[in-house]
Amino acid sequence: MASKPQHTSAVSRRSVLKALSATAVAGIGSLPWIKRAQAADPLIMVSYGGSYADALKEVIASPFTKASGVPVQILDTPDLAKVKAQITSGNVNWDIFDASGPLIMAGSAAGYWEPIDTAIVDTSKVVGGVGKDRVPNYIFCGGVAWNRQQHPKAQPRNFKELWDVEKFPGSRALRNRVSETLEIALLADGVAPAKLYPLDVERGFKSLDRIKPHVRKWFEQTPQMVTLLQSKEIDWIYAYPNRIRVAQESGIPVDFSFDQTLNLFNYMAVLKGSRKRKQAMEYINFALSPRIQANLADKLGLAPVVKGADKLMNEASRRWLPDVNNPNNVFVDDEYWGKHYADLDRRFKEWILI
Amino acid sequence: MPRRNAHLQPSLLIFAAAALVLSTVFFVVPMGFIASYVGNTEKGALAGLIGVATSRLVRVVFTNTVEISVCAAALTVALAYPVALHISRQKARGKIICLALVLMPFWTSILVKSYAFLIILGDHGLVNTILHALTGGSGLNMMFNRFAVLVGMTNFLVPYAVFPILASLAAQNPQVQRAAEIMGASPLRTFWSITFIQSMPGILAGLLMCLVISMGFFVTPSLLGGRKDMMMANVIDMYTREILDWQSASIISLLLLIFSGTLSAIILKIQSRTGA
Repeated sequence: MASKPQHTSAVSRRSVLKALSATAVAGIGSLPWIKRAQAADPLIMVSYGGSYADALKEVIASPFTKASGVPVQILDTPDLAKVKAQITSGNVNWDIFDASGPLIMAGSAAGYWEPIDTAIVDTSKVVGGVGKDRVPNYIFCGGVAWNRQQHPKAQPRNFKELWDVEKFPGSRALRNRVSETLEIALLADGVAPAKLYPLDVERGFKSLDRIKPHVRKWFEQTPQMVTLLQSKEIDWIYAYPNRIRVAQESGIPVDFSFDQTLNLFNYMAVLKGSRKRKQAMEYINFALSPRIQANLADKLGLAPVVKGADKLMNEASRRWLPDVNNPNNVFVDDEYWGKHYADLDRRFKEWILI
Repeated sequence: MPRRNAHLQPSLLIFAAAALVLSTVFFVVPMGFIASYVGNTEKGALAGLIGVATSRLVRVVFTNTVEISVCAAALTVALAYPVALHISRQKARGKIICLALVLMPFWTSILVKSYAFLIILGDHGLVNTILHALTGGSGLNMMFNRFAVLVGMTNFLVPYAVFPILASLAAQNPQVQRAAEIMGASPLRTFWSITFIQSMPGILAGLLMCLVISMGFFVTPSLLGGRKDMMMANVIDMYTREILDWQSASIISLLLLIFSGTLSAIILKIQSRTGA
């Protein structure tokens, strides 16, 4: 903008007005409905935001658009309530739902997902977790993490040790939801990993009773895994290594034990009544190609779900993979949670309060 | 008293119309949708109501919500009053600077503020580090408990109480205060019998505003609170987004609305008695 210093007052007022109107125009331009009308009817995917969405865009969505010509728009927060609202009102705007097990299973139980079209989606190389209406897109895991500065020497390295408050005194932090937490409580109590399911709920809650006085924070948000350790408010925490890796890379002295992990699938599903069902299936198939899987895993510190993809990963990232062959490790059974999540989570939330 | 302004009423209605339309479209109608979910399931309305009424989770969390909201609102008003009094005694320029300072926390994300409190109140935080250096003691437990929740909420709520109190202070006739001074009343007596009493409507309005806002608090208790500090909004969130039980969610929402509504009615009643 050309400003003339000699007419200061008039010009500055005019430039302020100009700037204001520019802001207003930019503001209107960024309104979602106007934006959507401009773009060539993209495939809409809903997913977790932040660096995760950036990585999805770079590793999957952009190459997919280049290969197929179908633009992809990634929106924040897989909110099942919004899926329910779209499907019950018959006005389905989202196409792909990318989320963790409990949400995908609750949606599956309610009949919100299209069946996966196996003529388009090749699931033969997927290591597990494939359902009629869902396909996994990566594996993540949870285990014990700590602050290196606080605890340079001895650390609890599995769930049994996490529960051992005499050997490892200090405050704990666990998730404030029943899935994952009940599993680690049972593993800590000595249940054999291979015989974990169906969960012995009573025994699990008894085990949780033991650790309850030592849990300082039942956290809700995943990023708290790092902030609680960084601020040294918590000694031992149940955390995801991909978060720990990113924190380490930005210089935060946190560490993670792979001795025992709870492994989990993250899934993709297509909304029932999606107007872009075919393109959505094509996107899912694209996301399952080994090269794309390896790139995503490299970028985010997650494990690929198709055979052979791990060999394409770089050496540094491979150190952050959960060991799926370690007999101490367990895959979370999402089918189990699909049936029991509502009742057990209610019970768990009551248990936390009292 | 209401009759006195009777001739003004038709024109007042026109001014109120815009707000009325707005609140009908954006509040009453959506509330109707929410209410419709109470009966709109195969379970039936009665089973849903009994389910919520007998739920221990709902009972404990509801008590929590009322306790936390009342404490937070009372604390906020107590903190906001001296601030408003100070601002009301400033000259024009000082007033603008002070008001900007009061509004500043408004423009900061509640998530950022919650994290900031972790740095201030935590075991290894600012306050405890200073305390440790001074006394050598082990410090205070100020994080992940009711205290932290109240600090976080009060920090958010103060501007909501400052403005109504300030308005009721500014509306006072300074001649009355001067008259009291001339009659020989001590500053304390003048404040108590004249200024404070006349600012009662502002105090009540601030209290009401803070109470109603507190009832819906969500992020602060979840980030700063301990395991016993769950509030109603967290439970509604659990029912709407995790369990997808919209019937229970809508019953609990309506319960909260009725409760806040009753509370507001009581406070407004008291306010009209104090002669607003």
